[in-house]
Amino acid sequence: MKYKNLNKYAFPDKEGRFGEFGGKYVSETLITALEELEKVYAKVKKDKSFQEEVIKDLNDFVGRPSPLYFAERWTKKLGGAKIYLKREDLNHTGAHKINNTVGQVLLAKKMGKKRVIAETGAGQHGVATATVAARHGLECIIFMGEEDIERQALNVYRMKLLGAEVCSVDSGTKTLKDAMNEAMRDWVTNVEDTHYIIGSVAGPHPYPEIVRDFNSIVGKELKIQSKKEFGKYPDIIVACVGGGSNAMGIFHPFIKETKTKLVGVEAGGSGVKSGKHAAPLSDGKVGVLHGMKTYLMQDKNGQILSTHSVSAGLDYPGVGPEHAYLRDIGRVEYQSATDQQALKSFHDLTKTEGIMPALETSHALAYVNKIAPKLPKSKTIVINLSGRGDKDMFTVAKEDGMTL
Amino acid sequence: MTRLEKVFNKKETKNKVLVTYTVAGDPNLGSSKKILNDLIASGADILEIGVPFSDPMSEGPVIQKAHERALKKNIEFKDILNLCRQIRIKNKNIPIVLMGYMNSFLSLKNKLAKELNQAGVDGVIVVDLPYDESKSFFNNLKKENIDLIRLISPTTDSIRLKKMLASSSGYLYYVSLKGITGAELKNFNEVKNKVKKIKSLTNLPVVVGFGIKDASTAKKMASFSDGIVVGTKIIDFIEKKSTPKISNFTKSLKKAINSYG
Repeated sequence: MKYKNLNKYAFPDKEGRFGEFGGKYVSETLITALEELEKVYAKVKKDKSFQEEVIKDLNDFVGRPSPLYFAERWTKKLGGAKIYLKREDLNHTGAHKINNTVGQVLLAKKMGKKRVIAETGAGQHGVATATVAARHGLECIIFMGEEDIERQALNVYRMKLLGAEVCSVDSGTKTLKDAMNEAMRDWVTNVEDTHYIIGSVAGPHPYPEIVRDFNSIVGKELKIQSKKEFGKYPDIIVACVGGGSNAMGIFHPFIKETKTKLVGVEAGGSGVKSGKHAAPLSDGKVGVLHGMKTYLMQDKNGQILSTHSVSAGLDYPGVGPEHAYLRDIGRVEYQSATDQQALKSFHDLTKTEGIMPALETSHALAYVNKIAPKLPKSKTIVINLSGRGDKDMFTVAKEDGMTL
Repeated sequence: MTRLEKVFNKKETKNKVLVTYTVAGDPNLGSSKKILNDLIASGADILEIGVPFSDPMSEGPVIQKAHERALKKNIEFKDILNLCRQIRIKNKNIPIVLMGYMNSFLSLKNKLAKELNQAGVDGVIVVDLPYDESKSFFNNLKKENIDLIRLISPTTDSIRLKKMLASSSGYLYYVSLKGITGAELKNFNEVKNKVKKIKSLTNLPVVVGFGIKDASTAKKMASFSDGIVVGTKIIDFIEKKSTPKISNFTKSLKKAINSYG
């Protein structure tokens, strides 16, 4: 453990940094928009009526609070620590992503923006954005890599039904990072009337802070629920990490609660040693991409490497800057799970608990599958069940050698 | 006097400055070198050489593809430095400015400024390094007399502009539109007013770029600035495999910008 005292943990600092990470590495044209966002956000953070509006939508539109569920049969099967699931899969649109978009769309309206744009990988953030745009009557454009459009046809159709325009991105690796490049290009062109709803705790300041705060509802609820359910905070909290928004949402309220161990699980793809993965915290170097300084998968010339993961939502070469900082100070432990381990856990949870998890989430499950049997029954583990797996049917079927 | 100062020093030359942008290694290193030498021969006053990057966020489709073509040839930073060195051997005076993204420059770590200097590079433009994040980078480059060229955009307000001007050198690059390279330039008067405003606050030369694709626009832009930058249109010739046309196009630009008023 490298950290000494976390009582004063209050990041980002005034420059938008988490230690050396974060910042605002964007083109000059976007600076004004970021500063405006920063100003408006600082204001609404203290504005009671705005916060009440967010809470009202989280309750009535999203369906919060999400339950804390005891996975009794899976616990018995693994024979060790008690396993609980924080059921973000039960949210409206089926994942934690809506927590952020519900808040950001209200921010967009506060700034008088008529148009929202977003990038998406698996399509969950795209759907969550299209959903709130429909609810508020805003124009909505979603950027999605050509390859992901093929992988996630169902979500593409959902977005279209919700009235969003889905723009296919065919540059670079044709996945999430390129969708983000294209969203940035749109934003710089339409900066006056457009709000960019970034979907993860990534990008330039103040996005990592905003997205974290809106997702922190997950950790805040867990604090109350765990006390009620088992009389204390969890011993271990586990979440999957791509950009890292669901993990940051559940971790952040617990950062100062150092008795609770926090574990983030990255996408190990074919294995971290194979080089075919999406685990920059396990096997990356510090660099600058998408407006932030953070750990990145890159070669010696600073070119961003293409990533590999069975889950489109984790298929990203970077990670939110606060995760980079929490890794370096040792407050959060970062592990990885391979495609195969994640797929196995997908099936395990589906058959044992009747809950079909997203492939992203399955990475967190795979880690718990490994450690729970070694821990005593008195210990409690909470997994952020960040999304449901319906969207992954085609991928799972394909991996299992089936055609639907 | 630095090479950049010499080019802009109006006592020596009454000419407006023509800045060209091409991507190093597009379509390959050999052609890249030939194109750069042709540009010099046809009137380019400053060479902006793009450092190809996997995620060129501020570029329009034409320049994006140029980055991709160069990366397909596995262009590395050391190749780009070599290319600069070769240009420098033949031409002692032409200023060379590398333009790229922060992660590429970071890859050279603390050797960057020295390597740039040794390769005969005069300045650097880092698209995703705004003033706010640039202090130590600027100071490191200064030690080796490398100018950090600032980009100023239509959204830069005057308070911010004044702060930026306090740590600027070489020249200023006014981005004529809110958008990506090669986009449609719509509001000519807005550009004119903004450039006038900048010039009232500084003695540094101001060049205008983004969206200039023909001689007549170039001429208009040069009438109130110190020079213009043309990239997309030149790269368009490379993409269409008609590089021989670049020389005549460059000559036409040069002629146009010096026939203002």
